[in-house]
Amino acid sequence: MNTQLIEQIFTCVEFGKINEASPYPATMKGQPGSDELTKLALEQGYDPNVILYDALIASMNKVGQKFSENKIFVPQMLLSAKSMSAAMAHLKPYFSSGAVKRKGTFIVGTVFGDLHDIGKNLLSMMVEGAGWEVVDLGVDVKTEKFIETLKLYPDAVVGISALLTTTMVNIPQVITAIREVSPATKVIVGGAPLSADFAKSVGADGYGRDPQEGVQWLDKLAS
Amino acid sequence: MPESSYSSFSYSFKEVKPAKEDLDDFLQLHLVEEDHPALLFIENTLPELQQLANIRGSYRIMDVEVLNIADGILIVEGKTLHIGIQVAGYLKGSEQIAVFVATAGPELTDMADHFSADGELLEAYLIDAIGSLTVEKAMDNIQESLELSSKEEGLSCTNRYSPGYCNWPLVDQHTLFSLIPDQTSGVILTESALMLPRKSVSGVIGIGKKARHRDYGCATCNNQTCIYRKILSA
Repeated sequence: MNTQLIEQIFTCVEFGKINEASPYPATMKGQPGSDELTKLALEQGYDPNVILYDALIASMNKVGQKFSENKIFVPQMLLSAKSMSAAMAHLKPYFSSGAVKRKGTFIVGTVFGDLHDIGKNLLSMMVEGAGWEVVDLGVDVKTEKFIETLKLYPDAVVGISALLTTTMVNIPQVITAIREVSPATKVIVGGAPLSADFAKSVGADGYGRDPQEGVQWLDKLAS
Repeated sequence: MPESSYSSFSYSFKEVKPAKEDLDDFLQLHLVEEDHPALLFIENTLPELQQLANIRGSYRIMDVEVLNIADGILIVEGKTLHIGIQVAGYLKGSEQIAVFVATAGPELTDMADHFSADGELLEAYLIDAIGSLTVEKAMDNIQESLELSSKEEGLSCTNRYSPGYCNWPLVDQHTLFSLIPDQTSGVILTESALMLPRKSVSGVIGIGKKARHRDYGCATCNNQTCIYRKILSA
């Protein structure tokens, strides 16, 4: 089977081409997007695992890399994520049937007292695009909510985000509560004012300077 | 409370809408292609927001009872604000404090939430940014009004400072809001001390003969995404 369709889906996600109706990018105007191409690939018998790993994950990895290197910014990344979601929607039945296996489950939320969501949203999209199931708890997430959700997904990894120096101090309370109910659960923290030293001092297992670094840490856990 | 110590303001979106250049700068849109959907969305959406009218704010002026810089404490009307050493230092010379609250209103927050719930994260992000810049612009106007009236009395004003920033604990919002109970903006606090509608700001401005306006101390803060980093000193 040739890989042309896979390469096309990869390109659509990289540049944020969602479907035929979407006029952006101008160079792809009128052409099918990740939505139609993924549907077509499945109809033509492409292995959904190949679509996931060689097109979606690989492309989002490239997008994350470009974001890390300041070659693209949040608006471009959000468009790529939308293109990825359009493709991922076609793969959902294969996740449900078990034909496509996810790497694991990632519970993520912005710590209580903090309403900032863009960093957490970018991480969620990147992690989903890396082949994980994401349970996004939103913002201002109380400790109890993290714990309740962890009980539903006991093998999940937990991500906690904070944008302010005055709210990152709430993170240790969540980690302590997680350790009490599930000592083996891995926890990663991130957000503008955090550092690797802070992460270590509050007992987190990992620290993500940016979404890409978070994904790389998670993928090491899954490998 | 003397009548003169409380002032409230109301703006239309037209009066305080963010300038296109400010949005481009804040969202780094000057770095995307000119046909990028983010630019088109903003171009189409800004005119649709002209009917927004619930952009409100108010401040109340009170005498400073204690300003302890070493301990980072400010006491007004017998209530203690734990503003931290950094903010206390910036308020040095203040004989009075204006406690302020302002909001861009519920509409922008609701719009962002709707887009977010529909998975339209780019649009939600853009509306959120418009809301942030709108409420800051409204607050710029309110601060300017305070500065003008203070100047007439031979007084200067500090910059504005908010709980959550410069190591001022967010939990102080509860005390702050108790000092301005009759604020007309309709902003309420959650248990976690967060403001609703989300696109709201609160804080203090120092007033006094020796009060001094300083730029925000971005050089000493590592928060690269903080909105105050984007605001030029007045």
